[in-house]
Amino acid sequence: MSKKSIAVLFVLSMLLASCIFDSDESTLGSWLGDQGLPNSYKVQTLTVGDLTPVSAEVFQDSTPRDANSRAVLGAVSGLSHDLVFDFIVTDTVLNTYLQTADSAKTSIILNLLTPFYTSKSFPQDSFPFEEDLSIKASWKITKGAKKSKVEDMLDQEDSVWYSQIASWKSQNEADTTYSLKITKKDTVLEIPLPSALTADMKNSGKYFRIQLRLSAPEASRIYRFYGTASYYPPALYVRNIGEKAKQTMMIWVQRMAGVFSNQESCSDCLVLHGGVFDSLVVEYPSKPIMNALSEFYGDDFPYTGGDGGDVRQAVILAELTFSRDDSQGSQELGHPIQVVVGSYIDSAKTQDMREMETYKLNKNLIASKGHPNMVFYDGDSLTLQVTFGMRDFINRASDGRTFKAMMRLGYPVLQDKDSTYANYVTAKGDSSYTFFGHFDYARYDFSTIKSSPSTLKLWLATKRGDE
Amino acid sequence: MKKLFGIILCLCAFASASMIGMDALGEEQVLGGMAGAAGRGYAGSAKTGEAEGFSLMNPARIAFDTKVVFNVNFEMEWFTAEKSDEYFTTNKIAVPSFNLTFPMGNFGALGVSLWQRYTSTLRESVKDSVTKTTTDIEYQGSVYEIVPTYAVRVPYLRNFSLGASAHLVMGNISRSLTMGPDNSAVSKEDSWATNNLELTDYVEGTWEVNHHPAYYSFAMQYRGKQVSYFFSYTMAHTLLNELEYNFRFSQLDTLAPTEYSREIEVPAMLATGINYRLFKRHNIMMDLSWRAWDENVENIGRSYDMRAVTKTQNDFMASLGYQWDGTGLFYDPYWKRITYRAGGWYKNWYIEDVYEFGGSVGVGLPLGRKGTTIDLAFQGGKRMSESKGNWEESFVGIRLGLMGVSSWGQTRR
Repeated sequence: MSKKSIAVLFVLSMLLASCIFDSDESTLGSWLGDQGLPNSYKVQTLTVGDLTPVSAEVFQDSTPRDANSRAVLGAVSGLSHDLVFDFIVTDTVLNTYLQTADSAKTSIILNLLTPFYTSKSFPQDSFPFEEDLSIKASWKITKGAKKSKVEDMLDQEDSVWYSQIASWKSQNEADTTYSLKITKKDTVLEIPLPSALTADMKNSGKYFRIQLRLSAPEASRIYRFYGTASYYPPALYVRNIGEKAKQTMMIWVQRMAGVFSNQESCSDCLVLHGGVFDSLVVEYPSKPIMNALSEFYGDDFPYTGGDGGDVRQAVILAELTFSRDDSQGSQELGHPIQVVVGSYIDSAKTQDMREMETYKLNKNLIASKGHPNMVFYDGDSLTLQVTFGMRDFINRASDGRTFKAMMRLGYPVLQDKDSTYANYVTAKGDSSYTFFGHFDYARYDFSTIKSSPSTLKLWLATKRGDE
Repeated sequence: MKKLFGIILCLCAFASASMIGMDALGEEQVLGGMAGAAGRGYAGSAKTGEAEGFSLMNPARIAFDTKVVFNVNFEMEWFTAEKSDEYFTTNKIAVPSFNLTFPMGNFGALGVSLWQRYTSTLRESVKDSVTKTTTDIEYQGSVYEIVPTYAVRVPYLRNFSLGASAHLVMGNISRSLTMGPDNSAVSKEDSWATNNLELTDYVEGTWEVNHHPAYYSFAMQYRGKQVSYFFSYTMAHTLLNELEYNFRFSQLDTLAPTEYSREIEVPAMLATGINYRLFKRHNIMMDLSWRAWDENVENIGRSYDMRAVTKTQNDFMASLGYQWDGTGLFYDPYWKRITYRAGGWYKNWYIEDVYEFGGSVGVGLPLGRKGTTIDLAFQGGKRMSESKGNWEESFVGIRLGLMGVSSWGQTRR
């Protein structure tokens, strides 16, 4: 027998075997069943009522933040928003001008954030804004003996500057009142600054740095402006109204930051503020949830076998529902506001890792009643999905952990009953936006969480058998 | 050759081993699945020659070899699992062993084998016509053994040899079951929660010998002019399978696993065999092996309605074979140089009420002058099962062995 014949025989035998053994894959499901393995995971729901948190605490981070794209000045919702500017003068022109001028005045130019004020989503009937704005200006000037020393200040990292202005100590300050009037058509404010500032600048030598802080804690609202990194950054104008020097000197801002201070009077209230990343951390005890699971499955919870990782079931979805009372809050824009939620998990065995929860869409509910995770909206309850957190909590409950979730106010919602939950182009070619791209500097009091019990609803997949 | 290896290894990823006992140890590759042994019904561990090569059952045999033998084996098998009027067909491709033996004259012989001893491999999808969901089931498991062996002929009693081998165990196993939801127990308005959500029940782990680096086999061989026989003893041992078990929503989104170990008490094995040579080239051979299982085998990742254990029985194999040795003379006609084999076997699996019988024919095709050979074996048979959950299987298979022979270390005469 030749080698070629053997090869042919080999191939033929393979083909023959393929033909003899025809396949019927549909019976694999039956085989799985015989092994005791399912071909789908069984879903069950469990509702745990009357949950009261063991702790609820608001955390507020008042660290100065960059005002690169947008800046806020004024007061609203119990917070006062200040602006801090950093101007660095590295040439002698300004000094020469100030020494020559006989009656120089300094003002700051702030460009209104027109995309916000002209948006259809901004209530246009708010115009005009009109008030006598009391502004406190405080500043500190650093003189540079040499030009190079001042130029070094240009290279300072922004983050370093933010940390420095967190403990603000001014060299000088003065109050001023600005008669503010903003109509729909206005785009810029020129706010006169105290003459003491001009005098200090005049005495600061050729090269210097001015750090200027503007506060308006008694303002009736907040005003939004373009920030440093925009096409319309703030600038300092120095004008002489006397006879000797007529031109206007302009100093562009090097960097700027927003700083806010809390003026809330109730220290026990669970108040979240929009736009400033306040967070409310709520902690629920383990026992009521474990007891409910024990009753539901008839097994011991938490699971203590092996290393305590409970994989007997998994949380498919978890919803936590609170009662809410919108009357205790205030807002600026009139749209519902999304509440975003994160959970503290450590399945990856890291400490206190916080993971933002995803939001699964209940399309039927959204179409009829709107998204359930909004405040300033119809209804008296708030439902948040805490799937990641609850999944991790039940998985690792044997180590004695509690369930902890964090929530904060998100963006205003423009499409409250649209379940697409993403920006899209309509059939007419218009853009449909889910969220307004600007925060509502609202306040919302979640104190009812402490007094009104919450409800937890779990969708669970189990590995328990039927037998 | 590299391409052939590549193709076979790729195909291995899509193939299935026997579907019996996958939650226990899986299917055993008897004698390393060597094509030469398979062609004569897995008999012949007592057969000696100048280049017989490795025997996993009889480590003493290689002491009589005079040539270096390298051997690699491939297996292709098609089988149908059936129960009542339901049947399921799939195939299997495996590389069950690599073997190398190195005779050193009066200093004995060294050998080493890489043996894929137990396999549980399956990758299939099934679509539920009612729920329209797809279930993916995947088993990937192998218990590998590296088997270094030493054998030496007994001084003065040169027809006797003694051999010993260590079995270093390694490998891993995983089972992945990806499922869609069954919302029959929830109200219609709650079913949205499982939209587009598949869930994977996942378990994986590694294999080793518990509290010891290896387990050991010892053997004694007698080679006579006409009759050769051997006796071997393999120590009982405990296989340790350390497992992690969890639910997975995606590769990154998983539950922290629960960790547990299963210990499998593998009993000692006794084996013996005889080879009777007549008319110079005709060989009749018979092998027997026996293991008395006391303990059941705990199943992997028990959940749902799975059985906790796979019940065991006495594991017994009897094989009977015939071989006509090729002449080995290059100037003879090619058909005379071919080795012809035939045989059959009966095997009690280690799994309760699972029995296998099969038959095979094979050839050893010499390539060139140096003794390099391709072994081919065609086999078929049936795995009978009366145990719950294990379906009967009918199979046909082809085994291919490549055997390289050399005379390293031998002086030219």
